[in-house]
Amino acid sequence: MTEPRSPIDDAVRAAGAVVGEHAGVTAVTDYGDPEAEIAASRRLGLADLSPLARVGFRGPGAREWLAARGVELPDEPNRARVQPDGSIAIARSWTEALVLGALRGADSVCDRLEAGAADGHRVRAYSLPRFDGMFWFALTGASAVDCLAKLCGVDMRESAFPVGSVAQTSLARLNAVIVRVDLGDMPVFHLLGDSASAEYAWASLLDAMQEFDGRPVGLRALHALAREFE
Amino acid sequence: MKIMPCPLNGPRPIQEFTCGGEVVATPNPDRADAETWADYLFLHHNAAGIVREWWYHVPTSFWFIADRNTVTDEIVRTFLPRELFRPDAQRDQP
Repeated sequence: MTEPRSPIDDAVRAAGAVVGEHAGVTAVTDYGDPEAEIAASRRLGLADLSPLARVGFRGPGAREWLAARGVELPDEPNRARVQPDGSIAIARSWTEALVLGALRGADSVCDRLEAGAADGHRVRAYSLPRFDGMFWFALTGASAVDCLAKLCGVDMRESAFPVGSVAQTSLARLNAVIVRVDLGDMPVFHLLGDSASAEYAWASLLDAMQEFDGRPVGLRALHALAREFE
Repeated sequence: MKIMPCPLNGPRPIQEFTCGGEVVATPNPDRADAETWADYLFLHHNAAGIVREWWYHVPTSFWFIADRNTVTDEIVRTFLPRELFRPDAQRDQP
């Protein structure tokens, strides 16, 4: 059996990605120049976080079932809340949740939730495997809002879309979930969509990033920035 | 751009939505005759004025109901289906 791969594995390797293990995850660590990627992340960077864990739950009992396992969902739909372990709990509706594993790999919360998922049926909380079905990218940096404005009809400026906001909308004509959870003072938008369209989304984003001098960045740069803001 | 106020996602471009047709009561399957079924399945009222329709927000797979004026295309109000239907409700009797 081969290791789980990102749906854009071929595309990032063709762009010079170094794939390796970093902080417990096998993912793109860098594109050959981690130092430049830190600066690029602050300007406009695009990272493929697809190898990181994520899982969804739906059903009338999903909220309570997750709460009993220490995952605190926001009260309102279309909001995200960062958990103490760094994972992100997203309320997609009144009865559906999406949990994104912590950036710093070695995540256990998604594995733990998935392992115990059968128990949720008792209270009508049903797991939705999201690892294979959804790509997960992070668009970072000062120009991220302007870049998203080219691809998406929802106002992503901080006044209208502050940290913790979620939009389930059309991104480059794809259905996508957009989540703003900054790293310190650096804007970060998590983008998730159908993995079958991942290569198209990746290429569309890189194309839209050109005029802002954006570039793909690896996990090593994001981890360095995360440490900086701790 | 035409804006649809979605009860889950707020105001969004109409391109994100699909219309699911009029809200009509399903006939009782045990008692409805062929003519009633044909009317339910194939015939639209196509009324001029304010009609009640199913609408679907594609990115979230979310169904809701909208009152829309078919003459002016004005969306009067949108709301959750649970205002009209309880999850355990029996089908409407014809």
